[in-house]
Amino acid sequence: MHMIQRSWKIGGIALLAYVFWTTFTVPLGPGLLELRNLERAAVVDGLDRKVAAYELIGLGTHWATRPEDLSVVLRKKENLTSLPVVEVIDDTHAVIGLAIPDTLPSRSWDVLINHPVDGTLFLQNGLFLNGVSVDETATWPALTLTEFPADLPHHFPFQPRIFETIRNLMLHVPMWFTMFLLMGIAFVASIRQLSQTSGGSSLFDLRAEASVQVGMVFGVLGLLTGSLWARYTWGAWWVDDPQLNGALVTVLVYAGYLILRGSVEDERLKARLSAVYNLFAFVILMILLMVLPRFTESLHPGKGGNPGFNSYDLDSSLRAVFYPAVLGWMLLGTWMYRIRLQATQLNQKLHRLNDQ
Amino acid sequence: MMLNTLFQANPIEGFFFGSGKSMVVGGVAVIIIVGLGLWMWRMEKRIQQLDESASQHTDSPNESAEA
Repeated sequence: MHMIQRSWKIGGIALLAYVFWTTFTVPLGPGLLELRNLERAAVVDGLDRKVAAYELIGLGTHWATRPEDLSVVLRKKENLTSLPVVEVIDDTHAVIGLAIPDTLPSRSWDVLINHPVDGTLFLQNGLFLNGVSVDETATWPALTLTEFPADLPHHFPFQPRIFETIRNLMLHVPMWFTMFLLMGIAFVASIRQLSQTSGGSSLFDLRAEASVQVGMVFGVLGLLTGSLWARYTWGAWWVDDPQLNGALVTVLVYAGYLILRGSVEDERLKARLSAVYNLFAFVILMILLMVLPRFTESLHPGKGGNPGFNSYDLDSSLRAVFYPAVLGWMLLGTWMYRIRLQATQLNQKLHRLNDQ
Repeated sequence: MMLNTLFQANPIEGFFFGSGKSMVVGGVAVIIIVGLGLWMWRMEKRIQQLDESASQHTDSPNESAEA
């Protein structure tokens, strides 16, 4: 029995060690940053006229390896056209020639590249052309594009704007999952507290208190880390997002729970009042963090009508670290809750002894 | 998958510092470690206090017995 109690703690520590190691050592996959106009002409083999030169910039790409196999394609719906590669400067820079017809089906184009090492990379609306006439019925010759994955070892997916901060998924998001678990423990404890007869013990009340106290630690850490991440991804410490506002309100509601407990002297009244409050607090948590963000537009991935992390938000390379991270942080949270509960129980026992 | 992730070599250039946003990840990790560290330090102090109070209680019956 003692071994079982110890093994889940050791398991939690091992999972968190794995999570920290992989979070900081697994590399970020390649991606496209920009296609910018060099404001000069370029000569392309096989073309009898000069074309506009554009510089394609990548991050973590390997274009200098087999540069002859780099291919660049513009795409708008079914319209695809191949662009000639004028020169591969280095792994992350290449000059592309762009021969623009007078009439195009659109001004805005997605840029795709195919490379044997980097696979198929995609830059949404990577090219915007001014000074061309648009005819939506105009079509370009059909081209077949075969997409293939990168020939690289395990790496985190490249996402525009997020870049390296995708690693925060293993640190920031599990804070909230752990808080949900602890507030869930408090919710169950409060129900059991209320279902007791009036002469029952206060064990469930202490459990609810301890788990809310530890849950608040994770909630505050979730707010702080989320705010820092938002500053560098969305450009502000706090944005008017239903998920962010809901998280703040939830933490304040649970702060109210702790204030309520501190303001009632009578132990039995305190236990019943705070248990009732806790039931409402948990319902508010579910509504504000799990329900409302899915009905409104949100900057958070997995929100705005999306019921969970889908293949775009969370690919298999992230899952291999994210799920152990959630489990590891939850085990740590449960361990902290047990320590807190034991300290509270000991404190109560000493108070009783003092009173005697 | 987890073992593959753990033991792989790392050949991608510009690793971690490539986009200039790696400090955000470091900052987030520091906030969590400092936050949990503060909690543990407070709990350590609290448990120490409780321990002292408990030992005072266990000492006093002995003193009365000796008397």
